[in-house]
Amino acid sequence: MSLLNRSHTLNESAPRLDRLQLAAVLGLILVGLAFVFSATMANESAWGQPLVKQLWFRQLFWYGAGGTAAVLLCLVDYHTLTRWAGVIYWISIITLVAVIFFGTIRGGARRWFDLGFVSLQPSELAKLAFVLALANFLSRPPDELRLPANFWKALAMMGLPVLLIMKEPDLGSALVFIPTGFAMMLVAGVPRRFLLRLLAVGSLVSTLFLVDILFAPPGWQIKLEEYQRHRLLVYFGQDFAPANATKEQKKRMEELRRQKSYQPNQALRAVGSGGFWGKGWREGSQTALGFLPPGAAHTDFIFSVIAEEKGFIGSVMVLTLYGIVLFTGLRIADRARDRLGKVLAAGVVALLFSHIFINIGMNIRLMPVTGIPLPLLSYGGSSVLASMIAIGMLQNVHIYRRGY
Amino acid sequence: MLIFDQLRKNDAQLHWLGIILGAGLILLLIGLWWVQIVGANRYREMVEVQHYRTVRMPAARGQVLDRNHRILAENQPDYRINLYLEELSPAFRNEYRRIRPRVIITNDLPFWKRWLGLPNVTTQFVRVKDSQLEQQARFQVVSSVAQQVSDILQLPVPLNASNFNYHYIHSRAMPFNLASQLSLRSVARFEEKSPAGLEASVEMRSHRVYPYSNLTAQVVGFVRPDDSSALGEDATFSYRLPDYRGQIGIEGGLDQVLRGRAGVKSVLVNSLLYRQNDTIWEPTISGADVVLTLDIELQRAADAALRKQIGPDGRGAVVVMDVHSGDLLAMVSAPTYDPNRFTKRISRAEYQRILESTALRNRVTADQYQAGSVFKIIVALAALETPAARFDPLEEYEVKANPATGRGIIWVGNHPFRDTVSPGFYNLERAIMKSSNSYFIALGLRPGVFERVIELGHRLHLGERFPPETLPLRQEAAGNFPSFEQIRKSNWQNGDTANICIGQGKMDVTPLQMAVMIAAVANGGTVVTPHLVDHYTAQNPLDPIPPQPSARRQIREQLGVSARSLKIVHEAMLSETESPEGTGRYVQGCGYRVCGKTGTAELQTTREDGTGRKNTTWFGSFAPYETPRFAVVIMVENGVSGGATCAPVAHDVYVALKEFEAREAANSTASTRRFSNSIP
Repeated sequence: MSLLNRSHTLNESAPRLDRLQLAAVLGLILVGLAFVFSATMANESAWGQPLVKQLWFRQLFWYGAGGTAAVLLCLVDYHTLTRWAGVIYWISIITLVAVIFFGTIRGGARRWFDLGFVSLQPSELAKLAFVLALANFLSRPPDELRLPANFWKALAMMGLPVLLIMKEPDLGSALVFIPTGFAMMLVAGVPRRFLLRLLAVGSLVSTLFLVDILFAPPGWQIKLEEYQRHRLLVYFGQDFAPANATKEQKKRMEELRRQKSYQPNQALRAVGSGGFWGKGWREGSQTALGFLPPGAAHTDFIFSVIAEEKGFIGSVMVLTLYGIVLFTGLRIADRARDRLGKVLAAGVVALLFSHIFINIGMNIRLMPVTGIPLPLLSYGGSSVLASMIAIGMLQNVHIYRRGY
Repeated sequence: MLIFDQLRKNDAQLHWLGIILGAGLILLLIGLWWVQIVGANRYREMVEVQHYRTVRMPAARGQVLDRNHRILAENQPDYRINLYLEELSPAFRNEYRRIRPRVIITNDLPFWKRWLGLPNVTTQFVRVKDSQLEQQARFQVVSSVAQQVSDILQLPVPLNASNFNYHYIHSRAMPFNLASQLSLRSVARFEEKSPAGLEASVEMRSHRVYPYSNLTAQVVGFVRPDDSSALGEDATFSYRLPDYRGQIGIEGGLDQVLRGRAGVKSVLVNSLLYRQNDTIWEPTISGADVVLTLDIELQRAADAALRKQIGPDGRGAVVVMDVHSGDLLAMVSAPTYDPNRFTKRISRAEYQRILESTALRNRVTADQYQAGSVFKIIVALAALETPAARFDPLEEYEVKANPATGRGIIWVGNHPFRDTVSPGFYNLERAIMKSSNSYFIALGLRPGVFERVIELGHRLHLGERFPPETLPLRQEAAGNFPSFEQIRKSNWQNGDTANICIGQGKMDVTPLQMAVMIAAVANGGTVVTPHLVDHYTAQNPLDPIPPQPSARRQIREQLGVSARSLKIVHEAMLSETESPEGTGRYVQGCGYRVCGKTGTAELQTTREDGTGRKNTTWFGSFAPYETPRFAVVIMVENGVSGGATCAPVAHDVYVALKEFEAREAANSTASTRRFSNSIP
């Protein structure tokens, strides 16, 4: 069976594009438009805005821009592209450094470049640059991957952007690099002992980190941004106040906890109250009445809007579309011409998956709140652009699988 | 997973990645199933709680009307001007933006930005952590609206910052009241002159008013502000609109009938707790109007008559009852109070003052007194109805002289009972007329008479309350009257019997019980149940009416005495008022031939603080003598004597009754039509 399939993919008459994946992406784009519309056009004042200020229209523009970028990307063989991987990687590192110094502050973090009419989030594009560069690095002969030095180099490639993004700070985006890099190493054939050690060390460190955050006395805790600590405390259902706090302090902390858990609670209520069938498009009361915070409903919490208005059916539909994109991505990796293509495609799939899992998980309280967008659905120029380019990279690997 | 099957099985790493992806997606699916299917109802409830605020809307309270549908208690409109905060919220925001502190920063722009021509001066707003500034902004907006409203109304519109802030925090979804109790003129001016952009609107509420004020205070009672849920209503509301709860009198006793049923409104609020829209979940059901048997004109006359005699602070009561139907035509209790004081918050001092004046007590039904000589009527009836006593009303009885006073006296055992009459010979008529104690004590001590007195007392239901719901006033005393068992078991002496025979000792009656007693004597021996609440009518034709109160002419018992005995008593009572010697002669000239009996119960104990009543003076009477129709009972605390204090009051009441009969005859056709229409 697999042999037959294999021969089938080598057939000259086989389509150059992965049409199933494109269909799923188109489906997601339509869903994205519909629900960005629903989330932002709830009140009358939004209708009075000129079209270019209406967010669904801007989102449409970004889909167009991202689509164009993806098409342009597909004109160049990914081999040619990866020759520039190092340059692209270092450019992205420079932008990440630059944003720490010159970025615009929003909500206490410097993550954006304000270009006047749009703002860009360099970390979104850095993720792709990282995937490209790591794929390039890991595509060397398998024997070389057995050398610990190369393993360390790969880790360092991953570590540099992670540290820079953490500095912004944007813990969520930074952590996405880790599963992505791990998946790429796995697929590239990095020896299992390295990976297992990495996994062991990784889980040990993260466990220690969490134990420290949640239980250590204040003096012993790792320095985290206050809001990051709060999100983790909310997620693990911990009291904000230390055990020896005074009554007054405890009361204040309880109030703070209530405030901090407001957003995830409201998202959960939106998702849950959608039930099986949902309340109907533009009928979501949590969205319309502003209980889902208006600033976040169309971005990080777009899934809550979909789940509230379209219910379990809608959620499953979105998951199915993502499933198609991810598994066609794996199929592309599988059918790629060489290890470079395979690792590149696997990296993109892992990157997309990490976003999807963390974002949806956050909407249903499976994950703590992090500012991770939902690829293709969340409103946001950088995110949409990056997602579309990611799809373009997958299609690129697919198109050039035969090496014209 | 069609696509997954197509993966090369020998590529273990990719395979693993596929498994991890699949597992992740399935985990999300399970999570979604848990939240959206299993937890759906729980989350829907939570969402409902945070989206809706329930408001208790009281129903329009029924009116209380007299027998001619004159209004004794009604709702008057209270025009108010309200602000809807959700309409002001953009203004709040703008004002906040205007007043918040700002910092103007001159940036050193990177060269390319300068090259692009971006401005190098930006305004940054300082985030004010506490909400002081927002609070200030809101209050400024509201103050300016209040100023506008004040200019239009040409009235001062006081505004209190902390009140407003409290309202904003606790009931943001509800309108904020700027001005209330506006005159119709003000309302008209406001409607005419308010500019289009002014976010204030007129609302009408109602407040309870008693047009006859203290005239009907004890009967109608009063309400107090109380918005709590009545029995059978939802107990949890986010907000409650002001409502009243009847306390005493008809307002209290028929509170359920008058109140109707409160409705429920739900207000959809947004995340900022501003109102989005309203939905009526349960409409209100207006309360029914209560029509009483009172005649307000008669009530007014009776009140004036009593007041003329006892002054503004005197204590007394007047009852006028139809002896056949039991209709209570007037019920006056003095002193009285203004029930309108209670519909708003009443000061503690004023409440205390009213309480101490004992004005809240309905002396007609709720206070019990020694019956005094009026009860001698019953003793006479009992003697006439006891063959064993061999009593002849014409036989002369000698009242012995009391050497100390020159008045009469009778010794029962070794206890002397003083008499107010002079010694000499008395028959029944003269004994009633002069109200001789000795005569009736001697009569009561005849064989069988006392048993008959007690039996008649029981048939009159003395010492008992009226049947339930007869007097929905929440103020009723049972009185006292000994049962046979009590007499048997206690160490009953002849002295006790003697006391009962002159209406003192171990018996107490309320003025209303006295009226029922008089009525039974008057109407030929039928003990009727008093009838105060005539019927209910719905305010709106579609509203349901509660079960009607019991009809008039409720016969409770028959005295079982002969017409002859009654005739003898009637004659004696007539001579009491018509003979120049009669104690009740002051009633003369009222237009009726009145049968009456005075009473002056001397209280043996006076309270040490001197507030105790000394004499309870009575005048029990009925008229006309020929065809008895009205029983009139006057009671005055601390009067001089029944004849001197009470009979003149009765005189005035009978004069008013004459007018009442004339009025009744004039509009009998009209009123019959009205009554037959309103009784379903």
